[in-house]
Parts: sequence; C-alpha cells; structure tokens
Amino acid sequence: MSYTLQFGQVTPYLGYLAGGAWLALQLAAIAFVLGWAIGLGCASTLHYGPRWARWPIRAYVVFFLNTPLLVQIFFLYFALPDWGILLGSFQAVVLGMSLNAGAYLTEIQRAGFNSIRQAEVEAAETLGFTRVQSIRYVVLPHILKVLFPPLSNQYIILTMTTSIAAIFGVEELTGRTYNINAQTFRSLEIFSIAALYYVVLTLIASAALYAVGRYFFRIKRSPF
Amino acid sequence: MPHLAIDNLNADYGATPILRDVDLSVERGEIVAIIGPSGSGKSTLLRVLTGLLKPRSGRVEIAGEVVNYTSAAALRKVRDRFAIVFQQYNLFQNMTALRNVTIAPTIVKKRNAAEVEREARALLEKVGLSHRIDAYPDEMSGGQQQRVAIARALALKPEILLLDEVTSALDPELVAEVLDTIRTLASEGMTMLIVSHEMAFVREVATKVVFMADGRIVEVGPPAQIFDAPQTERCAEFVRRILRH
Repeated sequence: MSYTLQFGQVTPYLGYLAGGAWLALQLAAIAFVLGWAIGLGCASTLHYGPRWARWPIRAYVVFFLNTPLLVQIFFLYFALPDWGILLGSFQAVVLGMSLNAGAYLTEIQRAGFNSIRQAEVEAAETLGFTRVQSIRYVVLPHILKVLFPPLSNQYIILTMTTSIAAIFGVEELTGRTYNINAQTFRSLEIFSIAALYYVVLTLIASAALYAVGRYFFRIKRSPF
Repeated sequence: MPHLAIDNLNADYGATPILRDVDLSVERGEIVAIIGPSGSGKSTLLRVLTGLLKPRSGRVEIAGEVVNYTSAAALRKVRDRFAIVFQQYNLFQNMTALRNVTIAPTIVKKRNAAEVEREARALLEKVGLSHRIDAYPDEMSGGQQQRVAIARALALKPEILLLDEVTSALDPELVAEVLDTIRTLASEGMTMLIVSHEMAFVREVATKVVFMADGRIVEVGPPAQIFDAPQTERCAEFVRRILRH
C-alpha cells in the first residue's frame, strides 16, 4: 500500500469532531425517547385499545418498517414545506428518526405486553392486590425486564443511524468528518478516527445499559 | 355450624356450565380432598371460592356469614378468608422468596414492615426454606417454589386454604417435601380444600373425600368409603382406573 498514514494533519480537528459526537449522542437520545414514547402509546393501544384505533397504528408501523429511513426523512424535509410545514434539517432528521424508531419500538413493546404472565396477575388478584398495585408491582417490573435488552439494542442501532443526518447538512459526527476530509483529504485517517468515536459512543452506552440491566432487572448477559 | 357451607353453586365458562348445583359442607379443621377426572370442575370450584370466577348462582358461607362475590371491594374481603396455591406456583418472578411472602401483608394490609418480615421469616422456616430467603423463583427448584407459594398464601392468615393440584407440576422426588408441608398444616388444624391426584396422600390426610364428575359432586365420604367401597358406579370406575397405576 503506497498510502502513508499521517494522523498529524487531522489531530487539530479532534475537538471539533468530539462536538460532532456530542450532537450524534443528542440525536440518538432524543429520537430514542420520542420513539419509545410513540411506541409505548401505539403498543398499549394495540393491546388494550379499541379495534378502530388499531388500523391507523398498523398502517403507520407497516409503512415505516418497510421504507428506508433516508426516504422518510427526505419526504419530511422536502414534501412537508408544500403543506406549509417547514422543518430545519436537524428537526427533520429528529422527526424522521423518531417516527422510524417509533415503528420498531411499537413492535418490540407489543411483544412485552404479550408476555405478561396472566397467572402472576391472577395470583396478585387472589392476594387482594388492587388493579393498580398489580400493574405497579407485578406487570410493569416484568415488562421492563423483558423489554430492557431489545430496547438497549435499539438505542445502540439509533446511535449509528444518526450518521444519516450528515446527508441533510447536520454537522454531527459523520457530517464533521466529511468537512475535515474536504479540508485535509486525509480520508483514511479521519474516517478511522470517526469510527473510533462511534465505538466509544456505543461502548459507553453498552456499559451503562449493562449496569442498569444488571442492577435493576437481574439481567446477566454480557454487555459485549 | 360448618366452617364452610357451599349451597347450590353454579358457574359457567361462557356458555358452558362447569359447576352444577354443588353442595358441600366443611367443618373447622377438616381436610377435604377433591378428586375426579380432568374437566370435572375441581379446579373451577376452587377458582369460584377464591373469586377468580364469578358464580352464576348459589351461596357460599364462612362460619355462617354469606360471602359476597359481586363487587371488586367485596372480593377483596373474600381474599382475607381464602388463600389459594396454584399448580404452577405463580410466584412473582421479580421478587425474592422473602418479598413474595411479605408483599401482600405489606401493601394490601398496610401492616408494619418489620413485623411482617419477622412473620415471613418464620413462615419460610416452617416450610423448610430459611436458607433460600433471598433466592429468586428462577433460582429455586419446583418444590422450593411451591413451598414459597404456600408460605405466601399463609402470610395473609387465611381461614381456609385452597390447594389446586399443588404437586402436579413437580418432579416425583420433589413431591414429598411439599406433601410434608401440607401434613404439618393439617396437624395444626387448618381447614383445607385439596384438589389432588396423589391418592395415597389423600387417603392419609383427608377427613373427607369429594368425587366430582361433569361439574357435579357425585359422591362424598370418608377416604375408606371412596377408595374401598364407593357407592356410585362412576366413582367406583374412577377409583378402579387410577388405583391400577
């Protein structure tokens, strides 16, 4: 290989790149929280809600699970202004990622509702628990434990997905990597460093999620 | 006055009648075993008594007092009097053995936590599990889980204990430890209704055996009658079939 690695040329940009990583973290966190809320609402409606409400939710889930995220964001970014809704690139990306994650998280959380152990709920009932006590002490802890690993995975996936924001000019980790590349042409160096930043972001998240899962839910699987 | 009096009880699952005109009288301290082919309504009878299935008609009295199954608030009162132990234990998986036993007295009865814990430890010791107090259900054997379930049922100080095929899900070598626990309770004078397929055990501890088929009580009598000299053809046939194994 005739290419000589020259990390010296990109080291001045490490701080600038860290700022991008910080933005990527924010994107992932916001999209995850919004998507989780959307998914919880949709999944509980699918489980407990009226029949008529299930149709639009199914349509939403099918649409967002079967089209690429990139196309969805393009639609929000370029089509919505036609209807008078003007989104900034950051907003369009957050909204698109949230709606997309919401569809996935609907499916994941639906599985959680389906896994409620009716026998335990019955035992709680015969012990005199009220309905609220039964949800608080028996149903919720169970659902949270079942859902914790797939929700963690979804968060890690979202962290990587944030790189799509670069296409819309959001200067997150990948966006800033492009910028540095355009100025230095040290592609291999800067993209290696960007990859390393992503690894750090996901490893920190994995370790934190592992600690939470182990402490609160007795989940013993290895984080990596 | 009988401790438990069941009068003309009827219950359905949807449109299917599952209990028909059930009458039964149980004295204080009696141990009534309910036997019969599957689908005969044995477990359903226990489910109705504990309020998991609403009766269509009929009357249940405890010590002369009519049990009210109509509203949620009334049902919670029923739960003070009956405790049930299930075939599949149905322990709360997210709680330790100790917490499984203390939770109902603490949150339902709002009793003092330290006092409840003291009692729970004593109960777990009684069922032979003082060394597994901090274990979670998935860390225990079936027999241990079932004994925790019995301790959990006793924690609310019920008047009558209902045992629904409590050894049916256990490996043979674990059955004895659970039966020993039930024997101890029997010797202490707890009134019990036991649905069981352990015929040798039934013969040993039951003061009365009820044979059910098709949702009806077909024959009631002391173990010696039911097993050695059944009065009805259905009961005789059932006993013949199971004792052959």
